[in-house]
Amino acid sequence: MTYLPVEIANETLHLLPERALYWPRTATLLIADPHFGKDATFRAHAIPLPQGATNSELERLSRALDRTGAQKLIILGDLLHTAKSREPTVLDTVTAWRDRYAALAIHLVRGNHDRHAGDPPDAWRMRVLDGPTPGPRWVLNHEPHQPAVGYALTGHLHSAVQLTGKGRQSLKLPCFWFGAKCGVLPAFSAFVDHGTIRPRQGEQIFVVADDRVIAM
Amino acid sequence: MTELLQPLIEWFHQRQWRPFPFQLEVWEAYLRGESGLIYSPTGSGKTYAAWLGPLAAWLATSRPAPPSPEQGSKSKRLNAPPLQVLWITPLRALAADTAEALQAPIDELGLPWTIETRTGDTSAAARSRQRTRLPTALVTTPESLSLLLARPNAEELFASLQAVVVDEWHELMATKRGVQTELALARLRRWHPELRTWGLSATMGNLAVALHTLIGTADYATGEVQAGRLIQGDMTKQLSFESLIPPAVERFPWAGHLGLKLLPQVIAQIEANRTTLVFTNTRNQTERWYQEILAQREEWAGEIALHHSSLDPATRTWVEHELRNGRLRCVVCTSSLDLGVDFPAVDCVLQVGSPKGVARLMQRAGRSGHQPGATSRVICVPTHALELLEVSAARRAMQEGQIEDRQPLEKPLDVLVQHLVTIGLGGGFVAEKLYREVRTSHAYRGLAPDEWRWALAFVTSGGTALQNYPQYNRVVDRGGCYVVENKEVAQMHRMSIGTIVGDAMLQVQYLSGGKLGQIEESFAARLKPGDRFTLAGKVLEFVRLHEMKVWVRRARGSKGMIPRWAGGSLPLSDELTEAMREKMEAARDGRYEDREMQALAPLFQVQQEWSVIPTPDELLIEVTKTREGHHLFIYPFAGRLVHEGLAALTAYRLGRHQPITFTIAANDYGFELLAPEPAPLHAALEDGLFAVDNLLDDILQSLNAAEMAKRQFREIARVAGLVIQRFPGGQKTTKQLQASSSLIYDVLQDYDAGNLLLAQAQREVLQRQLEESRLQQALIRIAAGTITVKKVKRPTPFAFPLLVDRMRQTITSETLEDRIRKLQLRYEKWADD
Repeated sequence: MTYLPVEIANETLHLLPERALYWPRTATLLIADPHFGKDATFRAHAIPLPQGATNSELERLSRALDRTGAQKLIILGDLLHTAKSREPTVLDTVTAWRDRYAALAIHLVRGNHDRHAGDPPDAWRMRVLDGPTPGPRWVLNHEPHQPAVGYALTGHLHSAVQLTGKGRQSLKLPCFWFGAKCGVLPAFSAFVDHGTIRPRQGEQIFVVADDRVIAM
Repeated sequence: MTELLQPLIEWFHQRQWRPFPFQLEVWEAYLRGESGLIYSPTGSGKTYAAWLGPLAAWLATSRPAPPSPEQGSKSKRLNAPPLQVLWITPLRALAADTAEALQAPIDELGLPWTIETRTGDTSAAARSRQRTRLPTALVTTPESLSLLLARPNAEELFASLQAVVVDEWHELMATKRGVQTELALARLRRWHPELRTWGLSATMGNLAVALHTLIGTADYATGEVQAGRLIQGDMTKQLSFESLIPPAVERFPWAGHLGLKLLPQVIAQIEANRTTLVFTNTRNQTERWYQEILAQREEWAGEIALHHSSLDPATRTWVEHELRNGRLRCVVCTSSLDLGVDFPAVDCVLQVGSPKGVARLMQRAGRSGHQPGATSRVICVPTHALELLEVSAARRAMQEGQIEDRQPLEKPLDVLVQHLVTIGLGGGFVAEKLYREVRTSHAYRGLAPDEWRWALAFVTSGGTALQNYPQYNRVVDRGGCYVVENKEVAQMHRMSIGTIVGDAMLQVQYLSGGKLGQIEESFAARLKPGDRFTLAGKVLEFVRLHEMKVWVRRARGSKGMIPRWAGGSLPLSDELTEAMREKMEAARDGRYEDREMQALAPLFQVQQEWSVIPTPDELLIEVTKTREGHHLFIYPFAGRLVHEGLAALTAYRLGRHQPITFTIAANDYGFELLAPEPAPLHAALEDGLFAVDNLLDDILQSLNAAEMAKRQFREIARVAGLVIQRFPGGQKTTKQLQASSSLIYDVLQDYDAGNLLLAQAQREVLQRQLEESRLQQALIRIAAGTITVKKVKRPTPFAFPLLVDRMRQTITSETLEDRIRKLQLRYEKWADD
């Protein structure tokens, strides 16, 4: 597994195929839209989806943290899918994971799902903020927007692009999207549908392809 | 016996009719307590054959005074005999007509029977009444029947049932709704071992199987094999197939989707007849043809109409009404007008595009020519040249009696799982007994104990994957009886009963309120304000999408996008492809024996010159290069579904020799593999590209690369309740429960690989989508014959229809990274902010 280094707003950032973004200067890892416990929401409505998804998502997050040695984790919204995600299996799994990374500082910028699901349990020791956070460098928010000062890092769109080519081929892949003043991270969750975005000339797109990130 | 039939015969005489011999046969069989299937290609007399038996039986046991005319409807209802007959119809649109037809003898014989309908259209007041008491005869659909069986008092509601009639059984039989009907019938038969079941059907190849799907395989209590009769209906009408021949076939498109070049001839046909039905194969084509006809003959506005399943029900009812009264000159329609009461005014039937099968063509022909002694004819309008070959072949197949079978489904678990919840609501069940009950149906006669246990676990505990989740609350065990207690589950289940698949449909409405019909969510999602599209023959301007409705206003001008509705089209049947091969043989020999073949002579000559016309034992492979890339065209002539499977298989096997990505297209004549570079054809042929060994393994492997199983899983996820589309009240599912079936498939694969619904998806792809046994036959045939590889300079007449096919799948053996490097991202132009 590798990473792709990019320059955004005069900062070096590493784009990880785990669908995360690492900021080496401050050893901060950022993810967006984990939607933990989405499968639990289904079960709560008597739809039999298997348990286990939360574990593998956390494993992927652990890999990203271990590889980078991050000291701080920022979650750009939609930590839990709904209030029904607050199911013992989901909560206990995350708590156990949290205890393994006891020294890690975790901040959550509230997203639309967080407002319904409620703030994370105290046991997770997360600092919860409402976005957009003040600059000067990164303006953190769940939804993409154009900040007056600084550069925004956001999520919410579950961004993906459609690639086309010879032989009438096409492919849809999750992607990082960086415009002049706003960047969008792909959804961390593997269990969400993606929204196809249409970037403009001059904007940068990096697609996530299994085990590497590729510039388009 | 004859004295029991007296009242019926008298009634016929009053109307100056004489019963057909087959009708007498059916009535006598009914009175002896038998069940059976009545089949014929046209409608005449089948309804009364099935309906009058129960009336005669009732008259024999009770002769009350007829209701006095002053009796109000409420008191009539209360005094009417309890439920005697259940009449099942596949389309709710037909229910009202059916009830009307059944009402006539009731009134004239002076019987105190009440007849009501129960479908999605039934009013709340009627539903409320029916919850406690059903009319003497109920006309309903499979879904509505399931809903009634999901009532706690279901057994009581059906306590007096004597007979079930299933109309258009050929339509239902090979579908999941047919299986749903089978399960419902198994339940009713368990409550009433003496129940008589009668089916009405068009002709088909495997009538004995059709009979058993209808009457079940064994008696619940005794285990005895169910017996029934096959009775042929009236066969006096002559059927004929003709074609409109394009004036110059060389200038006729070899490909292209609409056949509009023949519009002048079509209009001439409409002009020459009183009332014409124009059948097309898709809703999209119906809209298009309607527009084009109207553009040529503006003065026909108000005399021509269109009809398809996505039009507003009120519009459809209006069209059917006008058609019945002979006030329409022409109706452009889809299979939406295949079923139901005959329209006596129709004297001409046109079929645009491939007929797909002999039985279907016969049925459509049967919609015309109702005058005594008239021939029933269908005139085919080819949309590309090779379709003329199909018509010629169809005629031959009909003459030889080669009519398609309808393949029933084998134990689809998604329908079973849905049924378990239905019965859990409908009084509950004891596991062992319900297992025995479902096994009396044809579909589940082979249901293994471990499959049953899996289904039971799925609805009770959520299965093995949900072991640590005690709160799962769907069907619960209450002292040996499994019931549903959870109100939300009950509501969601009632909303989603129904196994018909389709994308979520959105209502299209004028801002001023009038309703037009439905379009698929995927089409609506692409519309921007101001975009124009056509529906119900009108050009509309999209205003906004709000609360699951598409709001529009009437647009000026005559052109708009025509919506596409998804809906698998049938493949060409074996019977037709066989007949086509024989016709091609004749063409090779220079024999052109009918008008269609004569018209095709120049095309066959070009094919012969640029490539070859394959013999029945020859597999032709054409290799060519265009600007788009390197093409392989392969022609097994085995029907589209087999070709989709062969394409995936071939792509997979070629991919083992070199990393390569293909897009594939398939039609009824062959398939195409297209890649940016040339394929390792010769190496693969030497290696056994079309070998039968490892067929299953290779297909399953190529299945993983193709998305077929995931697509098939869409339907299964809906039926089994893993995906909820609508909440009670009609609101869209909240975002909370939104997940594409594709995602759920992935989750199940990762965490519950033993899930039988996944296995069902794969099996259904093999059987239904790929027609595995047909595919195997195709490979055996190829192995026994020769393979001819021809390098051609440009795509041939055979290749053209594939070349222009837009529906393509991708199969790859390259790494994802390599693929991405070859693709591009198209950027939008920078718009002014």
